[in-house]
Amino acid sequence: MLAENLAISFQIRYHRSEVTIRETFVRLLDRFHRNGHRDGRWSQVFWALQDVNLAVYPGEVLGIVGPNGSGKSTLLKALAGILGADHGRIEVHGRIGCLMSFGVGFKANLSGRENVFVNGSILGLSQREVAERIDKIIEFSELGDFIDAPVRTYSSGMKGRLGFSIAIHIDPDVLLLDEILTVGDASFRAKAGSILDRFRGSNKTVIIASHSMGLIQKRCTRAVWLDRGRIRMDGDPSEVAKAYIAETEGPKKA
Amino acid sequence: MKLDANSGFIADADAGSLPPAVSTVTVIQPQRGWRAVDARELWLYHELLFFLIWRDIKVRYKQTVIGAAWAILQPVCTMVIFSVIFGSFAKIPSDGVPYPVFVYAGLLPWLFFANAVSQSSQSLVAQSQLLTKVYFPRLFIPASSIGVGLVDFSLSFCVYLGLMVWFAHLPGLSVLLLPGLLFLTVLTALGVGIFLASITVTYRDFRIVVPFMVQVWMYLSPVVYSVTIVPEQYRWIMALNPMTGIIGGFRSALLNQPVDWNALGISTIISSTLLIIGVANFRRTERRFADIV
Repeated sequence: MLAENLAISFQIRYHRSEVTIRETFVRLLDRFHRNGHRDGRWSQVFWALQDVNLAVYPGEVLGIVGPNGSGKSTLLKALAGILGADHGRIEVHGRIGCLMSFGVGFKANLSGRENVFVNGSILGLSQREVAERIDKIIEFSELGDFIDAPVRTYSSGMKGRLGFSIAIHIDPDVLLLDEILTVGDASFRAKAGSILDRFRGSNKTVIIASHSMGLIQKRCTRAVWLDRGRIRMDGDPSEVAKAYIAETEGPKKA
Repeated sequence: MKLDANSGFIADADAGSLPPAVSTVTVIQPQRGWRAVDARELWLYHELLFFLIWRDIKVRYKQTVIGAAWAILQPVCTMVIFSVIFGSFAKIPSDGVPYPVFVYAGLLPWLFFANAVSQSSQSLVAQSQLLTKVYFPRLFIPASSIGVGLVDFSLSFCVYLGLMVWFAHLPGLSVLLLPGLLFLTVLTALGVGIFLASITVTYRDFRIVVPFMVQVWMYLSPVVYSVTIVPEQYRWIMALNPMTGIIGGFRSALLNQPVDWNALGISTIISSTLLIIGVANFRRTERRFADIV
């Protein structure tokens, strides 16, 4: 997996979160009258990612750390193809499994089993592939007989377990995880953590964004520190975690 | 986003360390302006379209108390109301056919079109989670709403078979045109629905505009009346509305009336143009959906 000179910008609108036709008209008139400072009043361009260069190889478990708003999720979304890039190029070899949140597209009134088919298909599996995996998915999720009950009766932990179970059984070559291993109870977390080790063992790539330094140090083989959309540090997880903690906790002590 | 198989392998030494089993390579590059439809990618995900349709149908029939009956009640109630008001009270001529049969033959394509367009225009905003959390061809979101409408269409068509027998008004050979006409209706609904879906993401005004637009559109289409009551010199303006040719076509096929090939030809041209414009605009704005939805 390779990202070259990746950059993504967003237009931050100050006046409304939703654009309306009226606003577009007003903006056009505004530009027409005051040719000098275009856009200055209405919006500002914010670079969520800049000059990101990253090559991740099979067998690596890469942890991404950084404060809120540093671009972790944006980077994962760009890698998954959800967000278009403004500059640069991304190259991913193999199937991408992306888990920004659990159970995307789950319908509350459908049973767990029915949702496995829909969700698996959204994540890129064919019907045959889902059918082949469904027993393993149910077993791993530890839902038992609940699998045929409507998802609306599930606890959030149960939904999370089912979603995670589907995602890992897609068997992607590159797995993207966004702050999700905090779901479920302790035993499920341990099980989920060991999955990361299995991915590493089978020469797959895992990229995980997390605030948990424990997870980064324990499970990752490499870590990247994102700071305001740029890569600040790239290297050994313990060293990156140490430097990151030192920076975030340093000012408090002083 | 572009999915490119087996191309764009990096030439440097690092590429050698990749396992040979990995054969698909995804290359993502900034893309602006107009983009063609990626047919290969659509095919790769084609099963997903069926799952999305299946999911929506299942949800609807599980959630609502009388389930599938809604697909029949809506056209039947509309037909009864229209027959009383426009048929009995206003005495709108119906080309010598009993008014209920006449209006129902027009309601079949119209209600499918109206419901499909309303649903698909809201589909992207309603399912924003699918846009921001996962990647797959976005065209499938509005397209699946149209697919759901097709299921309702087949249910309401069964009612027509009943009407046909009740009023003893059997179709002639032109009934063979039906599959083609249905295809043309789907084409039109896709074009309009996809266009409105992408516009609604950017301009939320359309959430209010679309229901009104659909209502006006119905009176501009020959649903409750026949094109024959429109003065000859204005008929070409009516024909510019693709639903004119389609509704006329449905009536010809079901009520055994002469087919207006000119109107059908114009409908085909306009519907295809709408579809091209709709998809082109969708593809152009697609890359920003996750950002602005």
